[in-house]
Amino acid sequence: MKQQKEIEWTSLEIASKLYPATWSLKDPKVFRISCELDQIVSMAHLQQALDLTIDDFPLYRCVLKRGLFWYYLEESNIQPKVSPEAKAVCAPIYMGKKSDLLFRVSFYRKRINLEVFHALADGTGALLFLQTLICHYLTIKSDDFTGIVLANEHSSLSSVRENSFDKYFIGGMRKIKKPGKPKKAYQIRGTRLSENRMQLIEGVMSTHSVLREAHKYQTTLTVFLASLFIYAIGSEMKAKKRIHPVVLAIPVNLRQYFQSVTARNFFSYINIGYRFEKHTDPLSQVIRDTEKLFKEQLTAENLNDVSNKYLAIEQNMLSRIILLPIKDLILRLASRLAKRQSTSSLSNLGIITMPPEFDGIIHSFSFCTNANRPQMNVCSYKDVLTVSISSPFRETDIQKNFFRLLSQAGISIEIAANL
Amino acid sequence: MQYCRQCHIHMRGSRKRCILCGKTLVSTDCQTDREEVFPEIPPTYERHLALRILVFISITAIAVSLALEMILSTAVNWPLFVIFGVFSTWLGFIVVLWKRHNIPKAILWQVVIVSLLSVFWDWQTAWRGWSLEYFIPIIYVAAEMVMYITARAMKIRVREYITYALLDSIFGIIPALFILFHLVDVLYPSIICVTVSIIFLAGIFIFQGENIVKELKKKTHL
Repeated sequence: MKQQKEIEWTSLEIASKLYPATWSLKDPKVFRISCELDQIVSMAHLQQALDLTIDDFPLYRCVLKRGLFWYYLEESNIQPKVSPEAKAVCAPIYMGKKSDLLFRVSFYRKRINLEVFHALADGTGALLFLQTLICHYLTIKSDDFTGIVLANEHSSLSSVRENSFDKYFIGGMRKIKKPGKPKKAYQIRGTRLSENRMQLIEGVMSTHSVLREAHKYQTTLTVFLASLFIYAIGSEMKAKKRIHPVVLAIPVNLRQYFQSVTARNFFSYINIGYRFEKHTDPLSQVIRDTEKLFKEQLTAENLNDVSNKYLAIEQNMLSRIILLPIKDLILRLASRLAKRQSTSSLSNLGIITMPPEFDGIIHSFSFCTNANRPQMNVCSYKDVLTVSISSPFRETDIQKNFFRLLSQAGISIEIAANL
Repeated sequence: MQYCRQCHIHMRGSRKRCILCGKTLVSTDCQTDREEVFPEIPPTYERHLALRILVFISITAIAVSLALEMILSTAVNWPLFVIFGVFSTWLGFIVVLWKRHNIPKAILWQVVIVSLLSVFWDWQTAWRGWSLEYFIPIIYVAAEMVMYITARAMKIRVREYITYALLDSIFGIIPALFILFHLVDVLYPSIICVTVSIIFLAGIFIFQGENIVKELKKKTHL
């Protein structure tokens, strides 16, 4: 009999255990990071680059399988293929049945898109993959670049696939002071687009000009954008709905707080809420309150508590031995309840750096997630800040409010939209 | 690039109206940068026409059989048969559709459903014992063969079908209980089925024992 190659498999880490259970056609748990170049993308070269990149990230060759108690990632020999962009933005990747890769690389004109099912990686993890891909692509495409290394290239193969949650958190609950009964947050309503498509509006602006505006309020970029978004949502609220606060769920990249270069998931959440008393709450007050909440929640100690709490549930024997189909049901229900506690989310991928040799060639990066409600994603590359608002709804009032707030402050904005 | 005077924003691409407020855009400079940023994705209508026809036929069949029963009033309860028939077909069909990406699993599910349905039909039609005597032993042996042949023909890797083959062979031992508890009068189909299954089981354990242990460890990790 033929000797079989040993097949490697990996269990999912705590954050990604949620996604295979809670995906749906309305919310396929897919996000996209794109890179826009100054030249039309060549398919053949991109395929070559992808072939090289996949060897650096063996975990991206995995398919998701169902066990009796948990999902797990199993190595496959599927060769990823690049394709011209022909599917809706953030179209479903994992659909429960067919064993296929958990990411997709596509291109359109000058853009290279990487779309990832969230169980495989978070934004920062996937960005590492895209950066490597772009580096390979540009080096293959032109002979001008040789010996270019990414800032994080020295990390070993095993460190990019480590489960950082298990490395840094022990689980178990510390007595956390009860924050009181969680309140229901304001929910944005609207007319859904057909075929569960999503409306993506991307605004490109100068990082410096937005920062200058943020500094006028003595605050940071993320707090400033979060406050503007809260304000934009608040302006559309009906008076009787104003008893519910507008709450933004903000994912926090734990790599900043705990030493890790994993290309998998490693993040936590904080919730920022604001209750509009009357229609005339000034923006400055929203910013002041938001800033305060950020300061309170963004401490290593608080993030530690949150992650340990989730890990404790995962480690609980009872929750382990529940069969997977039942576990799926419970998680689905729990995530539906959790969704009620926030209005939207804002995810900031942060500053993306690329080797300086590529300065004139890379135009911008953009980042968006699939949305079952309007939500915002931000990333920046050099002086190009891209703010994307994805929404399942036809209405664009919140987006209009948000971008008008910025343009009224004298910031020049270029908008691109997919529909 | 084009400009919206209401929103004070520049708009990429060649659209006529502002995406934010819907007002008409004005061009600021001549023809530069009107390239689309996103491709236009045509709607993908999934019609499932075959499925709709099947649903239509099922409902028609049930309705007509009920009508005929009321007009002609026969001795046998025909509508019940039609309803069970439609139900059985649908059950089999849905499972195949649902598990179509994993053929060994689909075969296993099919075996379970078809054998349960056969007992049900036999019971509903005066219990002549054909389900336990012939049908189930034959279907188990057939499934073992079909699974092995399809797996080889489709080049499915051993570890992808080994657990299903194992379960299937364990099912194949069940007819031994039929003999033990004197549920059957005709013995030879059950005897053949149990013998074949034991041979299969032995083969699986002797030649693929390690693979099974690894598969089980993976599938049942806590």
